[in-house]
Amino acid sequence: MQLMRRKKKVSANQDHHIEAFFKIVGEKEVLFEDVDMLSYNCDGFTIHQHSPKAVVFPKNTREVAALVKYCAQNDLPFLARGAGTGLSGGATPLNNEVIISLVKMKGLLSVDYENRKAVVQPGYVNLHLTNSISSKGYYYAPDPSSQYVCTIGGNVAENAGGAHCLKYGVTTNHILGLEVVMPNGDIISIGEDGVPDSPGYDLLGLLTGSEGTLGVVTEITVRILKNPEMKQTVLAYFDQVEDGSRAVSDIISAGIVPAALEMMDQTAIEGVEEGSFPVGHPRDIAALLLIEVDGIAAGIDEQIEEILAVCRNNHVKEVKVAEDDAERGRWWANRKTGFGAMGAISPDYLVQDGVIPRSRLPEVLEQINEISRKYELRIANIFHAGDGNLHPLILFDSRNPGETQKAVDAGSACLKACSDAGGSITGEHGVGIEKIEEMRFIFSDEEIEAQTRIREVFNPGNLLNQGKLFPMPGRCLEVKKAVQ
Amino acid sequence: MELEEVVSPQQIMKTAQGHALGNGGEHTVYPETEDEIARILTYASENGKSVSIIGGGTKRGFGGTKDSDDILLSLEKFAGVIEHVPGDMTVTVKPGTVMKDIQEFLAGHNQMISLDPEWPEYATIGGIVASNSSGPKRLKYGSARDHVIGMRVVYPDGRITRTGGKVVKNVAGYDMNKLFVGSMGTLGVISEITLKLRPLPKQEKLVLLSFSKENWEKLRPFTVSFLDSTIEPVSLELMNPALSKKLADIESYTLAVAFEDVESAVAFQENWLVENKPSEMNMTVMEKEEAVSFWKRFTELSPKDPSSSSDIRASVKTGSKNMDVFHLMVEADRLHHESGAAVYGHGGLGHGVAKMYIEGPEDKVITAVKSIRAKAEELGGYAVITHLPLAVRRQISVWGNQPSYFFLLSGIKKQADPEKILNTGRFVGGI
Repeated sequence: MQLMRRKKKVSANQDHHIEAFFKIVGEKEVLFEDVDMLSYNCDGFTIHQHSPKAVVFPKNTREVAALVKYCAQNDLPFLARGAGTGLSGGATPLNNEVIISLVKMKGLLSVDYENRKAVVQPGYVNLHLTNSISSKGYYYAPDPSSQYVCTIGGNVAENAGGAHCLKYGVTTNHILGLEVVMPNGDIISIGEDGVPDSPGYDLLGLLTGSEGTLGVVTEITVRILKNPEMKQTVLAYFDQVEDGSRAVSDIISAGIVPAALEMMDQTAIEGVEEGSFPVGHPRDIAALLLIEVDGIAAGIDEQIEEILAVCRNNHVKEVKVAEDDAERGRWWANRKTGFGAMGAISPDYLVQDGVIPRSRLPEVLEQINEISRKYELRIANIFHAGDGNLHPLILFDSRNPGETQKAVDAGSACLKACSDAGGSITGEHGVGIEKIEEMRFIFSDEEIEAQTRIREVFNPGNLLNQGKLFPMPGRCLEVKKAVQ
Repeated sequence: MELEEVVSPQQIMKTAQGHALGNGGEHTVYPETEDEIARILTYASENGKSVSIIGGGTKRGFGGTKDSDDILLSLEKFAGVIEHVPGDMTVTVKPGTVMKDIQEFLAGHNQMISLDPEWPEYATIGGIVASNSSGPKRLKYGSARDHVIGMRVVYPDGRITRTGGKVVKNVAGYDMNKLFVGSMGTLGVISEITLKLRPLPKQEKLVLLSFSKENWEKLRPFTVSFLDSTIEPVSLELMNPALSKKLADIESYTLAVAFEDVESAVAFQENWLVENKPSEMNMTVMEKEEAVSFWKRFTELSPKDPSSSSDIRASVKTGSKNMDVFHLMVEADRLHHESGAAVYGHGGLGHGVAKMYIEGPEDKVITAVKSIRAKAEELGGYAVITHLPLAVRRQISVWGNQPSYFFLLSGIKKQADPEKILNTGRFVGGI
């Protein structure tokens, strides 16, 4: 019945493109009616929504290549999408795109323990990889908070980070090879078999974090790591944010490289304690630190002692070491669901993602406080303190007229504060459409143009994920060009 | 306009021609500021002059088929630490800074760039980054690409661009750092580099592990089980018997296993080896200073200067699946005994990069190099020739076959350097 109805609709519209998609992937793998495509109007960045032309679900590289080739030949804008957990609008179909959803390409193709690599399809969920290899004592290091649902293809597009990238690096440090469908439909393979340092420019490095604007990744070879022998986690409560910040610096200066070093402020604590995974953090403290050390068991105690001493030197109110894996797990669940937990204390929230040199933490936090006062919006701070990656969560109520825009402006002001402190506008969430204008905080028109020239090489027609990442060139550059 | 109008005449030297490694210039120019680099490149692009870039000269025999370009741009006088923020664990340096100088400076703050490239006493950070150098400790720390967080780069037409930033985590725009790391100076001249740092390890030790000649094949199953343990070596470098003999007087395949951690963790791991290694396996432990001096000799294996005898020298880097380094070292051993050239080799069993150093009569060296490449390609890997005299480089492809996606590489070059003035011919496919 369902199929009949769809077919009728198509022929009524005489949309031969939809018919063409049917031929490539099969009728069941195409959505084209608005009502079926509602959840594809945006990703995790919900402020801007647009409808796609169609959503298609290829099952293999060949089908992706055929779809891409068709779009290229017919001048149809298109983009690739994973689980849609992106926070910057990278998968939002601004131009009525054909969305190539990769969620049905979700296989774990091979695991090679001897050579420490695994090959996955782009729709494979991040955490599934670790779960599949943990019985052998291995894991995949990048662990964005959404890892239980986000896909590794999306991680590659965004160069995803996570709490543990302080010690182990972000996605780009763990990608050994990629199979990519180029925007004209050709298939290329870089770093085949996980062989390191393929001769030539570092295309793996360039593709990782290109937010789906250079090609559609259809197969990924990742490095897998052996589980550390031991993990130990410390939770420290502070009455003053400054004391917590100083403890962060002192831990780093002591020559310790923690696996993770996370911070939450009072508003954030209020949120996570109202959320789904409360652990009984006191409400009257100004900040908490979650510090994890891993490695050879024999060396852990020494580092934990040192961390405890640093905390005490910085007037810690209470500090404790996780009693067992269960307690450690609870602390992390509380932290990793932190963004969503803000829903418990605010109708809406906007997550920001600035980065600062870690030594500037106290002053930037103070500026964020000021922004909160100025815009009259509460801002919760949950962040990867160890690498200076801040996540101000701006709490607002979209039912109040004008408040959404105020939240967006406050977010932008936070990013300006980060840029002015010598930092960046995004550490792991990407630019997408959300931070396009903020790119100007850190790059000149010429520097942006240097990047769009690279896009030109890969994606000359600019049909793939158009309108993302880069602001239109400013007037100044256009004038310069006209003069030339 | 003449070059003398661009920089002061004291910064220009007429260069003797005919260097055995090629990659020279009619004139050598020594800029001391980024602005001077930009002016020199603008002059070159406006006047159709070709430019070759040099730092410490340790990679002069790596790529390129020209004796000389119009200008040899030497960055050796553009050196020094610009900014070091110990609390941020980042350092910003000028490209001509010698690696050892940076490390000594950082050691004063208990920090380091955790890279172990060749010739740290001569190699400049600019050259290390431009060639994406790495050593055995890549197993834990990665290669240059994993350390660079920001750069300033002068394009061939004199424009200056910034890539990345000064923070350790940054995904704003494309990761343009990656474009320039390993690009062999074919896209622009790096004028400033910001790197992330690590604390100096509190303890370090080196353990050499080997079986007797007859039993060497037991090394592979041991390595597999070792890799599968929770021990965290910083290097797991396999040496062929010739190299092991040369460096440690052990004439058998030998594993160089480094540990860097807090004292108790290093002691535990050393002890773990004592308890878990097969009884017939030989184990030599080197304490801190001894370990440092071993690694220093290791970084000096690769030829950097022209040979002074009638024999020639070559070095080859291979990339393969991690454990295929075993096959490559066996090939290196075979060639050492059968090719008529001496072949010393080592490779990382946890990272898949191996290096081989070959010395002997020209024809024998060429045969050995070709055999290594054939072996690497048979294993699904590649071989890049990282040192050879110019005359020999003209007979044999430095980079091997062009990849299927060569159009992307040439497209990138065309965007950055449309006039092809910069380090032309030095890279893959003659880029």
